[in-house]
Amino acid sequence: MSTVQRTWKVNGRTVRVRAPAGRRLLDYLREDLGLIGSKESCGEGECGACTVIVDDEPVVSCILPVGQLADGTEILTVEGIEKKRIGRLVQQAFVEVGAVQCGFCIPGMIVSSYALLAKNPKPSTRAIREALAGNLCRCTGYAKIIAAVKLAAARIPAAKRK
Amino acid sequence: MKITETIDIRFPKTLAEAVRLQADEKTRGKLLAGGTDLMVQWAAGVPTPARATSVWNLPELCAIEVFPDRIEIGAGVTHAFLGDAVQIHRHVPALIAAAATVGAKQIQARGTLGGNAANASPAGDTAPALLVTGGSVLLASVSGVREVPLSRFWIAYRKIDAHPDEIILAFRLPKKGKAKERFRKIGTRQAQAISKVMAASRILVEKGTIRSAAIALGSVAPTPVRLAEVEAFLVGKKLSPKLIDEAEALAQATVKPIDDIRSTAEYRRWASGRLVRDALENL
Repeated sequence: MSTVQRTWKVNGRTVRVRAPAGRRLLDYLREDLGLIGSKESCGEGECGACTVIVDDEPVVSCILPVGQLADGTEILTVEGIEKKRIGRLVQQAFVEVGAVQCGFCIPGMIVSSYALLAKNPKPSTRAIREALAGNLCRCTGYAKIIAAVKLAAARIPAAKRK
Repeated sequence: MKITETIDIRFPKTLAEAVRLQADEKTRGKLLAGGTDLMVQWAAGVPTPARATSVWNLPELCAIEVFPDRIEIGAGVTHAFLGDAVQIHRHVPALIAAAATVGAKQIQARGTLGGNAANASPAGDTAPALLVTGGSVLLASVSGVREVPLSRFWIAYRKIDAHPDEIILAFRLPKKGKAKERFRKIGTRQAQAISKVMAASRILVEKGTIRSAAIALGSVAPTPVRLAEVEAFLVGKKLSPKLIDEAEALAQATVKPIDDIRSTAEYRRWASGRLVRDALENL
């Protein structure tokens, strides 16, 4: 075992990390920082329930060792996304469309949707499907989830679009 | 404590530091890039190493360089980064297409070209596309850089021609020039699916005659494979429906796939031929 010390920004706040280098980011977020919005489902990088954004890219935190995240890394979890304008639009759209059934996959869905819309505020259906392809849902059948992302995109103010 | 927390992971800042660590048996660690395969294997109980050496984000492994005749892609380049590197897309389109089928966005953001090659799965998505370039892999150690043709790199099931002290540095890939490339992957679904069969090809046709042909398949043998017999059969011949029928049959006769959890030998044999047909019909 080796211990690493790192300084990251998590949801905009500076966090001084001291943890085993091989500790999974998901465990660090949930157990050390109390950010339990990110869920563990498959634990092997297949299902996307633990998706967070690391330096603008969505990643699965269940297979990411904390030691590989250098000083200055910026991490955004579902808790931080809720405080972003586009994040709130995504959240609201999921509620209005009824894109949620059991809800376990939804934090990951919200994070992947946010990651997409932050880069591409006017995505095609294909782009939405590709962005969410790594997030599995066993309840909804996806149609309402995709509809929710479209609704959120439609509400992003024109000035935010490229 | 979770199993991956027991590993002593080193984080060299430069390639020089990394090769020094790997040179000495006492400091050498299992090489860890984006972790999309290894973290899963370790958590699932594949014996966890005492030590690992992280090559994630090593600056010397992250470059893409374009030369007149070839491109060189650092082993640490991620599949997502390949998708964004539009300056190389027209030179190795099959590889770019293959990288886009790896996992899903989350895996593409972490998985690296070097990691995919080192994992040496017969189903590694990028291997057939690398093979058809006729390129080579550069391996770094304290003794310098060794170049190994990709055709001799995957030597057995999950085994590569790299010495214990070597780190995959980069891939040296001839540009496709006027040849046409194609990549097709057959899996259960488009994302997050390991392939049943996949094919990459680089074929040059001039005035209706096939001048050169490189066709590689994944998931039909213990390693990714070039279809040397089919290639030799095609070169110098006029492209015609009859030739395509014969190439399809020859491919089916040549491959020796197996039954496993993802597919059957029979289906893989049939699909191998269809993928060769697909490559030839889209020239």
